[in-house]
Amino acid sequence: MKKSLRVLSLLIGLLAVFYFAVPSQSSVGSLDRIKERGLLLWGSDAEGGAPYVFPDPEHPDTLIGFEVDIADAIAREFGVNARQVQNAWDSLIPALERGDFDIAMNGIEITPQREAKIFFSIPYYVYTEQLAVGKDETRISDINDLSGMKVGTLSGAVAQDILMELGGVDVRTYSGQAEPYEDLALGRLDAVLLDLPIAAYYAKPNPKLKYAGPPVGEGFYGIAIRKEDENLKRAIDEAIGTLLETGELKRIYEKWDMWNETQEKLYLYAKGYERGVTLEEAKQAPIWRFFPMLLKGAGITILISVFSMALAIVLGLVLTLMRMYGRPPLSAVATSYIELYRGTPLLIQLYILYYGLPNVGIALSPIVAAFLGLGMNYAAYEAELYRAGISAIPKGQTEAALSLGMTQGTTLRRVILPQALRIALPGVTNDFIALFKDSSLVSIIAMVELTKTYNILAATTLRFFELGLIVAFLYLAMSYPLSLLARSLEERLKGKKR
Amino acid sequence: MITIRGLHKYYGENHLFRGIDLDVEKGQVVVLIGPSGSGKSTFLRCVNGLEYFQDGEVTVNGIKLHSINRKRPARADREAMRQVRLKVGMVFQQFNLFPHMTALENIIEAPMRVLKVEKNTAINTALALLRRVNVEHKAESYPDELSGGEQQRVAIARALAMKPEAMLFDEPTSSLDPEMVGEVLSVIRDLVNDGMTTVIATHVMEFAREVADTVVVFDKGEIVETGPPEEIFNTPKTDRTRAFLSRILKR
Repeated sequence: MKKSLRVLSLLIGLLAVFYFAVPSQSSVGSLDRIKERGLLLWGSDAEGGAPYVFPDPEHPDTLIGFEVDIADAIAREFGVNARQVQNAWDSLIPALERGDFDIAMNGIEITPQREAKIFFSIPYYVYTEQLAVGKDETRISDINDLSGMKVGTLSGAVAQDILMELGGVDVRTYSGQAEPYEDLALGRLDAVLLDLPIAAYYAKPNPKLKYAGPPVGEGFYGIAIRKEDENLKRAIDEAIGTLLETGELKRIYEKWDMWNETQEKLYLYAKGYERGVTLEEAKQAPIWRFFPMLLKGAGITILISVFSMALAIVLGLVLTLMRMYGRPPLSAVATSYIELYRGTPLLIQLYILYYGLPNVGIALSPIVAAFLGLGMNYAAYEAELYRAGISAIPKGQTEAALSLGMTQGTTLRRVILPQALRIALPGVTNDFIALFKDSSLVSIIAMVELTKTYNILAATTLRFFELGLIVAFLYLAMSYPLSLLARSLEERLKGKKR
Repeated sequence: MITIRGLHKYYGENHLFRGIDLDVEKGQVVVLIGPSGSGKSTFLRCVNGLEYFQDGEVTVNGIKLHSINRKRPARADREAMRQVRLKVGMVFQQFNLFPHMTALENIIEAPMRVLKVEKNTAINTALALLRRVNVEHKAESYPDELSGGEQQRVAIARALAMKPEAMLFDEPTSSLDPEMVGEVLSVIRDLVNDGMTTVIATHVMEFAREVADTVVVFDKGEIVETGPPEEIFNTPKTDRTRAFLSRILKR
């Protein structure tokens, strides 16, 4: 008993460390706070990939990309360091609003809809949309030939709106930018319309793909800033202006092979030349280079799973006791909880917990939201397992205990639960393994665990197969010992009864 | 010692007990007989609060159990039932030993948890009780390693460990193989001879005749006749008693 208490308090302590390590809403804000902190936190999605923000194939635990360079340059202007905060691309704006980082910069197109919610800096890049098709495509020569075609694009991107407005196009949306080009190369799509820098990284070097027609739909990328941070917006605008004047920005774009005449509209000076990483190089990086990053992801997966399961086991028991032994208001609460959590998707529960609660003033850090989300969901399932276990104990056991003068509490603790938990144990260990795999869902709330790490690396290198096998093996290597442990635990309990 | 007055019990629409009265004196041995389903077991269970009843009063050693017309009794009622159970031991047809504990652990559990007896004392008492019921060699065995007769004798020892002032036996030999009935009955016989106040529901008529001070005949939730065993078995007064005895003795 004492030992398990010690372990529990250790776990809670660890959680607390993680909780405080993540910036809370109050510490994020104006320029003064950034300077005080010495850090500019900028949100982006490394899964979005090259050439924006992606892991360096040489050193996968560091991020590179033209936006990394821009963020560093802006931070330098402020006299601070830049730190990337990982967040899914389609929820960058809500995450910015809830205060997860100071600014969001990730190829976010300046649109009136977005400007209604947040500030944009002056543009830092002029993008165009580029249509890409298969090498042997003859039907499609430009954007006007897309009627009835399957066309892939990024969910929530301006390219999606352009396709929608064309009408008659079978639009397929993706959450990552590597996947549409993969599907195009495999013939699952007829064309892909995406921002030129993306096409330049993924489509241009691919011999199976080619560009169709000239770039269309000129627009601007801007840095997103919260509405209440007006002084920060001014400072960012000023910094971009300086980078333009010094030619720093152009150097960055040239390094990434993104410079074109269109950019002349914004940038005046050009000097020097430095080449960025190409897809070919990313594809050829030795696989072992990604191991440290994958192992780190696996560590996060284990951490989340163990904490969440501990919560589920304890909370599940409380729920069962409330449901089976509580008076009507309590038992009704427990029953509703169980039905609600079993009857709604975990994904929705995570979204509400992480993006919904800030609307009512509760901003949880990603790790706490992941821990609570998984734990509270699985608690409902554990509760039902315990209930089945308790129901399986013959009534005579309770009667015998009561007839010996035991109170209901003692009866439960000493007679019913020890037998019921033994019955529930196989189900609980089974759930632990299931939770372990379900933990990949928390990647949607900005937790970079094993699956998310895989997504990011695979999107950059397109090595979905070999990295996929490695990740699958890592999951198996973690869950199989768990199965063995569960089996030996069951054997031991059976042995004790015998 | 045990007084029952005006006991009424319904199962939904079904009115099982329509006002039962019974007194058990200290040291008295009362045996309940009657056909299956006549209410013997239910009556016993009402006495120690395992079964709730809608009207009437059960008094054990001055502690009153009132009619409790609901599934979840109030805290005070639960405590009253517990006080009664502390005075009255119960032995069940199905033994109901705790399968996750050894015979010894089964016996010391309640004295330690309820009476706060020190562990060594509890173990010594338990071993003495196991000797008394002739299963001391199985102290470390788990219930599923014991025969039915051994399990029931451990169950008796478990009830006695709480030092009850009366014992209730609910058909203690009904789930036993015939060759084990004798060993359990002989333990009960010893107990009765030591002067324990006892109420037994049983189908073993010879045993009823042998140990009873008073025999109570149940039929359809009513007490149809009460009297000393020789009177009930030799000169029954009611037709229902005669009918029951002729059925059961023919078997």
